[in-house]
Amino acid sequence: MSLVEVNNVTKEYANGEETIRPLDGVSLTIERGDFVSLMGASGSGKSTLLNLIAGIDLATSGEIIIADTDITRLSRGKLADWRAANIGYIFQTHNLIPVLTAYENVELPLVLLPMTAAERRKRVQIALEAVDLTSRASHYPRQMSGGQEQRVGIARAIVANPTIVVADEPTGSLDDETTEQILELLSRVNQELGMTLLMVTHDADAGARARRRIRLERGRLIENGQETSTRTLRTA
Amino acid sequence: MFPFAPYVIKSLWRHRARTILTVSGTAVALLVFCFIGSVQKGLLALTEDQQADRTLIVFQENRFCPQSSKLPQDYATTISKLSGVTEVVPMKVFTNNCRASLDSIVFQGISAEQLRVCRDLTLLSGDWSAFEKQDDAALIGQAVAGRRKLVTGDKFTIGDVSVVVQGIFESAVAAEDNLVFTHLDFLQRTRGVNEYGTVTQLEVHLADNADPEAVGAKIDAEFHSGPVATTTRTKGMFQADTVADLAELIGFVHWLGYACVGLVLSLVATTTVMAVQDRIKEHAVLQTLGVRPLGVFRLVIAESLLLSVIGGMIGVVGSMLFLSSTGLSVAAEGVTIAFRPSWDLAVQGILIAVVVGLVAGIAPGWQAAQSQIVNALKQG
Ligand SMILES: Nc1ncnc2c1ncn2[C@@H]1O[C@H](COP(=O)(O)OP(=O)(O)OP(=O)(O)O)[C@@H](O)[C@H]1O
Ligand SMILES: [Mg+2]
Repeated sequence: MSLVEVNNVTKEYANGEETIRPLDGVSLTIERGDFVSLMGASGSGKSTLLNLIAGIDLATSGEIIIADTDITRLSRGKLADWRAANIGYIFQTHNLIPVLTAYENVELPLVLLPMTAAERRKRVQIALEAVDLTSRASHYPRQMSGGQEQRVGIARAIVANPTIVVADEPTGSLDDETTEQILELLSRVNQELGMTLLMVTHDADAGARARRRIRLERGRLIENGQETSTRTLRTA
Repeated sequence: MFPFAPYVIKSLWRHRARTILTVSGTAVALLVFCFIGSVQKGLLALTEDQQADRTLIVFQENRFCPQSSKLPQDYATTISKLSGVTEVVPMKVFTNNCRASLDSIVFQGISAEQLRVCRDLTLLSGDWSAFEKQDDAALIGQAVAGRRKLVTGDKFTIGDVSVVVQGIFESAVAAEDNLVFTHLDFLQRTRGVNEYGTVTQLEVHLADNADPEAVGAKIDAEFHSGPVATTTRTKGMFQADTVADLAELIGFVHWLGYACVGLVLSLVATTTVMAVQDRIKEHAVLQTLGVRPLGVFRLVIAESLLLSVIGGMIGVVGSMLFLSSTGLSVAAEGVTIAFRPSWDLAVQGILIAVVVGLVAGIAPGWQAAQSQIVNALKQG
């Protein structure tokens, strides 16, 4: 069984009389350890799909099964617990907590998990090392550059060793050089730490880093020029 | 939620100007609340202590100010013969100010033996024998001593009355800490006018099985056709009647106490609402990381609770220090209401701060917990 199974998911927004349907019966599977890029025109529903998989938005219909849990059936509280244990989310703008230091920001997801203080310290140390920011542990977000902040954001996303790391345009607000650094870092997270990665991006070069590339077009998923569905993937 | 304590504290500190203003506003309101509470308790103490309904006060009929009540001292002899009466204490009362005042000095002239028996005083300085031996000696309550900065050995003059402080006492009855006790005959002879043989009031102590009302009626009947008619009431009623005007005012002021609680509620709630609106996105990020909606609710409650309790503590401690250091009281017509700090008032103040902190956080906490993560993340 695949790590992620999105089955026939539809998302609708009611906007007065008309209904907007950014996702229309989308199906997708992601294997453990894969690095998937998700591209598509602006407004095609990329963020919507990513947020559904991350469990921070609710699908109108369909099911999303991640590591054997159908997250569409979880209550709000249970879904939050599930996110704490299974999701690492990298935002476009890092979204660090401004009053907390780099160290405390990275530690935050661990506080929600059953873990000793010593274990937490060890994990934060490893995560900060992975993004090469050990020396900045006691700095506040405002004392860091955009690239450094994003690296702290990545450390925070991987520190709890989540089932899947999702990133919504992680390089969207960075310059070329920093973008390169961050993409390099994400590749390492996938290859060296073996984490499953789903990355939404506008940038074709960034998308090319991924092992697998899919596109969203008019509410449907296209892979290698073909519409994907659970069935086609299973028989492939 | 304990691991989030640094986050809550640092968040409050990030907006320190707002936090300090809210905390100090809360502190001032709680200080006023406790002060009003102590005034109320002082008033209640006049009518609710043990002595209040087991002791009678005989006063001249239709007189209110101690200066104008003049009873023959030998009434005491007549009264002490009535059944149910155990002791009659003739007292001369002199005050520098018959109207309601925050700094009136009330002298009570009582014979030394009766003072020793009928009042529960603990001398903080000076001694009894020096007081007993000297004509113009006085024992003064600690609140008066504090207010007028008097020590044993000082000479102390109010109007025509000049006394020498031979002791400072603490009384079991808070209101008595605002009195000056002198010898009865000293106060009768002073002020040029020789009032020897007349007293202001007679304090009648009763046997345990005596009915205060019946004895009171008997006393008044006894002197009805005498040279001076009397009005006899229990000490509690006498004091309540005497400070009736003040009591009405104090009863009104107690609404201000509730207003203070309302003030704290709106102050803390406003600050918490602002804090939540500032951080809609931040709370969404926390939820994305896996904080439950209930967890966000608790974080908001923790913030409002902290604001209110810190402010409350400062206010309560401040009011207790203020009350105990100033020994304030208000007196009217020789009866004083003492404003004293008390533990149950402090506990009440802290409890109010806790409840207000919790209540103030409910609406903003609920709002924060209910927000849609995806929409909230889009906020700037
Ligand atoms: N809360 C909402 N209410 C109504 N419509 C919405 C809402 N959120 C998103 N949409 C619509 O859903 C569609 C998909 O939005 P989404 O954010 O997923 O696009 P996207 O592919 O991520 O675009 P971009 O590349 O610009 O980020 C858009 O047409 C958008 O207008
Ligand atoms: Mg998007």
